[in-house]
Amino acid sequence: MRAFTIIFWKELRSFFLSPLAYVVMALFTMLSGFLFVNMVKAMTANVNPQSLVFNLFSSGWFWMGFFILFPLITMRLFAEERKMGTLEGLFTAPVRTSEVVLAKFASTVVAYLVLILPMFLFFPIFKSLTGETAAFNDGALWGSFLGLLLVGILNIAIGVFASSLTQNQLIAAMLTFVGVMLHYMFGYLHHMSALPQSEFTAGLTYFSTVEHMQTLSDGLIDTRPMIYYLSFSAMLLALTHHVLEYRKWQA
Amino acid sequence: MIHVTNLTKRYAGRTAVDEISFDVGRGEIVGFLGPNGAGKSTTLRMLTCYLSATEGRASVAGFDIFKDSIKVRKRVGYMPENVPLYLDMRVKEYLQFRARLKGMGYRESRAATDEAMDTCGLTDVQRKMINTLSKGYRQRVGLADALVNKPDLLVLDEPTNGLDPNQIRQVRDLIRQLGERHTILISTHILHEVEMTCGRVIILDKGQIKASDTPQNLVRRLRALGTVSVQVKGSPEAAMKEIEAMTGVRSVKHTITRQDWARIEIETEANTEICEEIFQIAVAKKWKLRELVQKTASLEDAFVNLTINKKEKKSDD
Repeated sequence: MRAFTIIFWKELRSFFLSPLAYVVMALFTMLSGFLFVNMVKAMTANVNPQSLVFNLFSSGWFWMGFFILFPLITMRLFAEERKMGTLEGLFTAPVRTSEVVLAKFASTVVAYLVLILPMFLFFPIFKSLTGETAAFNDGALWGSFLGLLLVGILNIAIGVFASSLTQNQLIAAMLTFVGVMLHYMFGYLHHMSALPQSEFTAGLTYFSTVEHMQTLSDGLIDTRPMIYYLSFSAMLLALTHHVLEYRKWQA
Repeated sequence: MIHVTNLTKRYAGRTAVDEISFDVGRGEIVGFLGPNGAGKSTTLRMLTCYLSATEGRASVAGFDIFKDSIKVRKRVGYMPENVPLYLDMRVKEYLQFRARLKGMGYRESRAATDEAMDTCGLTDVQRKMINTLSKGYRQRVGLADALVNKPDLLVLDEPTNGLDPNQIRQVRDLIRQLGERHTILISTHILHEVEMTCGRVIILDKGQIKASDTPQNLVRRLRALGTVSVQVKGSPEAAMKEIEAMTGVRSVKHTITRQDWARIEIETEANTEICEEIFQIAVAKKWKLRELVQKTASLEDAFVNLTINKKEKKSDD
């Protein structure tokens, strides 16, 4: 636990002391701000039965931009240490591999929450500026927050795992991006008319981010996706632990 | 302090460390010497719990490196080869982070960091970013990192690698000074360094221990064997034949010809004096002689003899 805390703060510090954090935050806020404005305009023009929150988080545009975030914030975690050789110093200090993995993961989740915070503030700001109460309810907002947290946890776990596999940050980023995108696109498999539809594709859809976000951004809290995201992330972190331990036995 | 028995590390199809056994006592400075790829770094990495051994066991400060890895790591200060550091941190910040990571409390770590910076001469650069430091300073940061939590054992993998002569001298002095308080295990391929700093040398080649002794004893043992160097004018073949026929000669080798002068190196049995005999033959046969020396061996000869000669002999067969 001691080592966890120390590495956690060290990682967080070095993340927010690097320009990457601010570049990512600025660009992401810009992108989502653009979509937000667009969504508000669209909803003003046409009658829409869904809330503002729901519409934003079920838009494919939003997710495309959103997913670039994960490779960028996770790629350096282990890949950089492997390349620089600092992994050797880290693991010859009296720390458990699990503490290192969890600390890096947790610090990235916190960094992620800070990065998406400005985007999240759009909603309360919008509400207080326009006094528009019908745009969305609080449940939808908090549900979406929970959804983004869960999606973030899973995607960061994918990134942590990818980063532990290689010493090349670009490869780590690419692996993360593909992993994250595949998981997302499962949701569209069911709607692709060119593909033969079966129970298999329907099943895959069930694992998809969009599906879960739609229920959550309606303000409906379903525990099944929660268990799914958390357990899948735990499995990826366990795999990361094994990859790092494997170095010892590498023959 | 260190107790190693039959430690082995095999990589795919290659044995990097082959059943080595040795002991290092408290307070000793031991040099690990060997050509590149001899298995020095692998051995050190196993002792510092970065890699696991394929076979055999080892203990550091009484703790098994496999079963009590955390306890071992608490007691070992390790400076890896090429000194990896977090380049985006400041010197003091980095050392404090490392001290805390090694189990020190906040206050304790601050005092320890100041002390380590003082020992390694880093106080002036404590606010600098590590990526702006020169190689020599980085090396010192690595050393300060290794000793910051006052470990029982210091393991330094090629501590003077890539430094200029002045910096090498500084680091060497520092190591000698640290030897008063710590047990130190150094790996290096620079012989001079070992002669200067270490109380004992372990020569490693192809994963096996070739010798383990004080530098002085290694040299003495070798000197007993003896090497004689002769330079004759013209073709060396005739002279070589004559010398080969003498008693007590183990091998004769023509090494170099420079401006008609051919140098012949002769290896003799222990305690054999052949210079006089060679001289008499030279006079009788009217050889033109420029040099006739009984060579005194250095650690370098010991090293060459124990590592390189073996390879050449094998390829000759």
